[in-house]
Amino acid sequence: MHVTDEGIPVAKSPLTCLIVDDSAFMRFHLKRMMGSFDNVLASEAANGNEALREYGRLRPDFVLMDIVMPGMEGVETVKRICDVDPMARVIMISSVSYKEKVAEAMAAGAKCFIAKPVTTEELRKAIENVLCSPSADSGGVI
Amino acid sequence: MRLDFVKIFIDSTALLFRELVGPTADVPSITMKPSPVAGREVMAIIGLAGEAQGRVIFDMDLFTAVQLAGHMLGEPSPGMTPLVRSSIAELASMAIGRAISQINDNGTRLRMSPPTVITGSNLVSYDQCFETLVAPINTVYGEVRVNITIQDLD
Repeated sequence: MHVTDEGIPVAKSPLTCLIVDDSAFMRFHLKRMMGSFDNVLASEAANGNEALREYGRLRPDFVLMDIVMPGMEGVETVKRICDVDPMARVIMISSVSYKEKVAEAMAAGAKCFIAKPVTTEELRKAIENVLCSPSADSGGVI
Repeated sequence: MRLDFVKIFIDSTALLFRELVGPTADVPSITMKPSPVAGREVMAIIGLAGEAQGRVIFDMDLFTAVQLAGHMLGEPSPGMTPLVRSSIAELASMAIGRAISQINDNGTRLRMSPPTVITGSNLVSYDQCFETLVAPINTVYGEVRVNITIQDLD
């Protein structure tokens, strides 16, 4: 809740996030981390196709995306999301973090890359980076 | 057998376990076993493909799997729930993902499959032609064996 210049209390609209990971553990873990942040609403998708559908439906403020998934992998999913919405803010979170793969993910449109296992602080920093910088800019590798 | 890769897999796994679930004892010895690999009650299997091929199997007792998952989840688990299975799969995936990253950065193209977790009793993995290196990693929750087979394609 915050107060306008006129002194009217209004509910701060929550940030929305889409968590894309085939691992139920990672979705649980990331959602719990989101719960420790102020005012973030998290939705989930378990694969690339579901992610495309949910992204179109929700248009979240940012996306957390795994790379190794059955079917459509994370990099391809990012590319398809960014084809539809070039301003999409996608943070890759993966244990597969070799230079070529990171470069591939960033070229596909990801704004930031975090290597698993991710800490709450790393996640907070990545989210701040992608939300505070203009959408076209990269938040880098954490 | 690519022993250089095997060392990366074992070091990566031991380091990850130390980071996520606490201290581990040094790997006492690595043994060579002919196929098939006899597993315990829980197996997490990851396939490897690219310029080399093979697979890594993590096998452990049910008790160890449930305790490891409980530690990762931050809450005890009543047994082998879907979330426990997923936690074990993710543990294996993170360990091998890191190793794969190091191997790729060193110049060999290698990719991994998503992990598969199998539970049951007297599990056996049949592998047609490869010998397997087995490294036991002792955690505070019990032993996890890392069974590795990896060969160059030629």
